[in-house]
Amino acid sequence: MNFNQLVLNSPRRLALPISMSPGLALTGAKVSDIVTNSQAQLDAQAALQQRYQSPFVLGAMDLSVEAEAFGCTIAVSDSEVPTVTGRLITNQEQADKLAVPQPGDRRTGVYLEAVRLLRQLPGQPFVFAGCIGPFSLAARLVGVSEAMELTIAEPELMHTLLEKCTDFLTNYLKAFRAAGAHGVIMAEPAAGLLSPRGLSAYSSVYVKRLAAEASDEALSIVLHNCGAKLLHLPAILETGLKAYHFGAPMDIVGALGKVAPDVILCGNLDPAGVFVQSPPAETTAKTAQLLAATAGHRNFVISSGCDLPPNAPLASLDAFYAAVKTANQ
Amino acid sequence: MADLNQLHDAVLNGDAKTAKAVTEQALAAGHEPLKLVQDHMMPAMSEVGRRFECNEYFVPELLLAARAMKGSLELLRPLLAAKGNEPVGRVALGTVKGDLHDIGKNLVGAMLEGGGYEVIDLGVNVTPEQFIAAIKDKKANIVAISALLTTTMPAMKTTIDALKAAGVRDQVKIIVGGAPITQTFADEIGADGFSESAAGAVSAARKVCLA
Repeated sequence: MNFNQLVLNSPRRLALPISMSPGLALTGAKVSDIVTNSQAQLDAQAALQQRYQSPFVLGAMDLSVEAEAFGCTIAVSDSEVPTVTGRLITNQEQADKLAVPQPGDRRTGVYLEAVRLLRQLPGQPFVFAGCIGPFSLAARLVGVSEAMELTIAEPELMHTLLEKCTDFLTNYLKAFRAAGAHGVIMAEPAAGLLSPRGLSAYSSVYVKRLAAEASDEALSIVLHNCGAKLLHLPAILETGLKAYHFGAPMDIVGALGKVAPDVILCGNLDPAGVFVQSPPAETTAKTAQLLAATAGHRNFVISSGCDLPPNAPLASLDAFYAAVKTANQ
Repeated sequence: MADLNQLHDAVLNGDAKTAKAVTEQALAAGHEPLKLVQDHMMPAMSEVGRRFECNEYFVPELLLAARAMKGSLELLRPLLAAKGNEPVGRVALGTVKGDLHDIGKNLVGAMLEGGGYEVIDLGVNVTPEQFIAAIKDKKANIVAISALLTTTMPAMKTTIDALKAAGVRDQVKIIVGGAPITQTFADEIGADGFSESAAGAVSAARKVCLA
């Protein structure tokens, strides 16, 4: 059963918070363990799954791992997911010469192995891998601010990088499928900073291509864009995907009115505002509010608008799931 | 003869090459540097901000416009200084210690520069000592601190406390911003101002300086 079938056939409203870090409170591991050790990912997800009985488990969301495989340097800390530092590519010649890595290179092997381990969990939960989207990956290779300017000033350079990023991601998705993933949440946040026309040309075209090559009934792709607004939606839907995950800037009720009933939308509680800065009672109230606003939409899955920050307290996630449970009673 | 409307349009359209060329022509023709900035470049950046706020412009267009303005300002700044024309203010801008994200900081820098401020860009992962040095050595009168991560937000308070300990807190106004930052948080840590958008940073800077 693919993700869309699972959601549309569910008798109750499902929840899919992008949560790995709260599991650390249960296992005692650090963020630096999660991003280097597949067993630490399994332990955190197993602990969360046992606590909430979720039908989904997720590999960690680490948007530095693919860029590192290309050769980018990263900054690592105990408390945050690694960040890409510096610029690997500064001109067309470097872009032309850039070698495309293989799935399994550097730390990508940790994430492939995590999927294999997650498939062994009891209860056979739906296993999501996580990866970056093509434009967000290309932007990390060339510098995110610089990538924004290059989309207008040097489009050829960006397209050269996007071709290579798409080739890598296509193979990476195939490797996730071979490892047993049921789905992949593909994060494309940088594309949300572009105009709709830019998003179409620099993201959707490439996502559509890699999905055509790597996705099938056995592997659902959920495209995540935490920066997109409603005006970006038509350009995002050009990917032809059947599932999307949006952040707080998206008018999710408006978006639900613009997609076919068999297209799944997930989102979009503010991860910082709702899960870190609000007391649990407020988290419950905001979760209930969003569930009420989207009532009647079987194609909506409530979620955090992005991955939960490492300092999101477990009490917030408890409050979130309690509100979902109440709505299902 | 320089067509100064071209300067406005070049900044608005993010055409750095034309902006620089027209600036050079205008200076050769004897135009006042201050008037080039105030009458042509600042209105262009103001329009960029307006378009950004109403989703006609996006991040790429804003950054390119800022680059065009910066190229012209590099020609004009020495001349402005020689004539004693001070910027509206000097802003020490940086992403807080522990945080390596720069795009929000860059957008704020672009809008402040477009608003007539001199921006001292300290980069990312900026220590309190770097902010203090910018206040002491470069005469910054505004400190603008950015954070993207919830885990680095506390470093904003650490920075403000360090400014107090160094005896320079009263010499500056402090504005903060970034995706997880709220007015409540800004008040809690003792910042003077807050902006929830890049374009709003200019009015936040003006407001705190008038307070």
